[in-house]
Amino acid sequence: MSLNTLAQALVSGALLGCFYTLMALAFSMILGVTRALNLSHGDLIILGGYLGYWLWSGSGLHPLFLVPVAGAALLPLALLWHWLFHRLPEPRELSSLVLTFGLSLLLQNIMLALWRGEYRLIASESLTGSLALAGLRLNQGRLVVAAAALAVVGALYLGLTRTRWGRAIRATSLDREAAALLGINVDEATRTTFLLAFCLSGVAGVLFATLHYLYPAGGIELTLLAIVLTIWAGVGRLRSVLVAGILLGVVEALTVAWSGPRWRELVVSLMLLASLLARSGGLARGWSH
Amino acid sequence: MAFGGLLALRGVDIAVEEHQVVGLLGPNGSGKTTLFNILSGLLRPTAGEVWFAGCRVTNLAPWRLSGLGIGRTFQIARPFAHSTVFDNVLVGITFRSRHHYRRVLDRRREAERLLAMVGLAPKASARANELSLGERKRLELAMALSTRPTVLLLDELASGLSPKGREEVIRFYGRLKERGLTIFAIEHSFRVLAHVADRLVVLDQGTIVAEGRPAQVLGSPRVMQAYLGEDE
Ligand SMILES: Nc1ncnc2c1ncn2[C@@H]1O[C@H](COP(=O)(O)OP(=O)(O)O)[C@@H](O)[C@H]1O
Ligand SMILES: [Mg+2]
Repeated sequence: MSLNTLAQALVSGALLGCFYTLMALAFSMILGVTRALNLSHGDLIILGGYLGYWLWSGSGLHPLFLVPVAGAALLPLALLWHWLFHRLPEPRELSSLVLTFGLSLLLQNIMLALWRGEYRLIASESLTGSLALAGLRLNQGRLVVAAAALAVVGALYLGLTRTRWGRAIRATSLDREAAALLGINVDEATRTTFLLAFCLSGVAGVLFATLHYLYPAGGIELTLLAIVLTIWAGVGRLRSVLVAGILLGVVEALTVAWSGPRWRELVVSLMLLASLLARSGGLARGWSH
Repeated sequence: MAFGGLLALRGVDIAVEEHQVVGLLGPNGSGKTTLFNILSGLLRPTAGEVWFAGCRVTNLAPWRLSGLGIGRTFQIARPFAHSTVFDNVLVGITFRSRHHYRRVLDRRREAERLLAMVGLAPKASARANELSLGERKRLELAMALSTRPTVLLLDELASGLSPKGREEVIRFYGRLKERGLTIFAIEHSFRVLAHVADRLVVLDQGTIVAEGRPAQVLGSPRVMQAYLGEDE
């Protein structure tokens, strides 16, 4: 592997990593406030991607215009999911797996019925060019996706740290009962979290559809990636998720550059297992209260 | 109050008068914390009612009760561990008392005042998980006060503290009472409450076994029996 190939893999992996961060945040926020694993997470993103694809092929608009539309389109589902999660029996860590596994299959089948099994891609010409920078060839689509993802993550960071609802969400995910006793309406904070997370998922979906082919069962892999990142970074820790996302993107790109795409999924699965064994913090720490 | 087959509280009828200090005693597992969980809205009772200032408040959400003026601490202090002491106190001020302190500066001043009151001002910028047990309990007290309560539910403030720490807790009870707060306090050891409480209630296995003025209650043989070998 030449030095140039290596640099190329590092940069494009880091760009992809920004997208991973966006995707994982939605998962980790819901885990934070509900202690529930949302296994339908990736399927929601794929659904957002399909919606984006459908609007794009119908209207021919620039994909970036469709990003907020897909984000808004998932909001009704956020309320439905919140309603269902609210009714989960204890222990929630377990019953959420059963519920969301079912929801995941349901979403996959709905998408299969609506869009059949064909692979779809938002192949907008505005995103296909590439830029040369210091001897590196940067795919324009990846640059745009990374910039959009970073912008959304940055806005979320400001919202969570500077606003009242953001503080309410953070306190709720740290300790639901203590937050409630301090006057925070934790039910409202939970609902807001679902709305935000689903909006992020819709946004992530459209961005994803410009990078990868969509197919109805494609969400499983995204869910897996979100779980890996959450284990690495810990629940609700925004900066760590950003670092972990970029790291994952780089590791993946290096794997692909070194051995071709064959090993990609295997490596990600191995990373999941390794990180579970290596870290007793992360995911577990979010539950420890 | 029942947890599955376990009756944690049964036929408990307690009235706490305004501006009084009422102590709740009882051996481990007698249902004291459970009663506080119901009063603060964290648990829904399977039977019975809660009244506060003339209103029925059974099953109200904790943040509503906090809004009405009920504050509490946890037996095992649980501040937001990775936030600073100062930020911990600011949470309640921001969410509960914001109408009283519209400007950020006023809120910060109120947080400083509360920290000074519990003697934690020098630790304001420490992280909550760096505090000692006694300091954590004092932080909890400041957090409970940050919601401007009229009634404070205090769960074993003195437990696990050194004799000196206990003395300090007793002084705190006195000071809170002077400020006109109504206090309902659980202590495992009756020595802490004997001097400050206006009234004591003793629970055993979920029922009230004694109730009255401290001297009366502590002299009762039934209480000594419930506590046999329990007091440290
Ligand atoms: N959430 C709960 N679920 C089941 N049982 C509980 C729960 N909370 C308390 N209990 C039980 O209720 C009884 C009273 O507990 P608690 O109120 O904590 O006692 P105390 O504070 O007086 O030591 C105990 O037997 C305890 O095991
Ligand atoms: Mg207790």
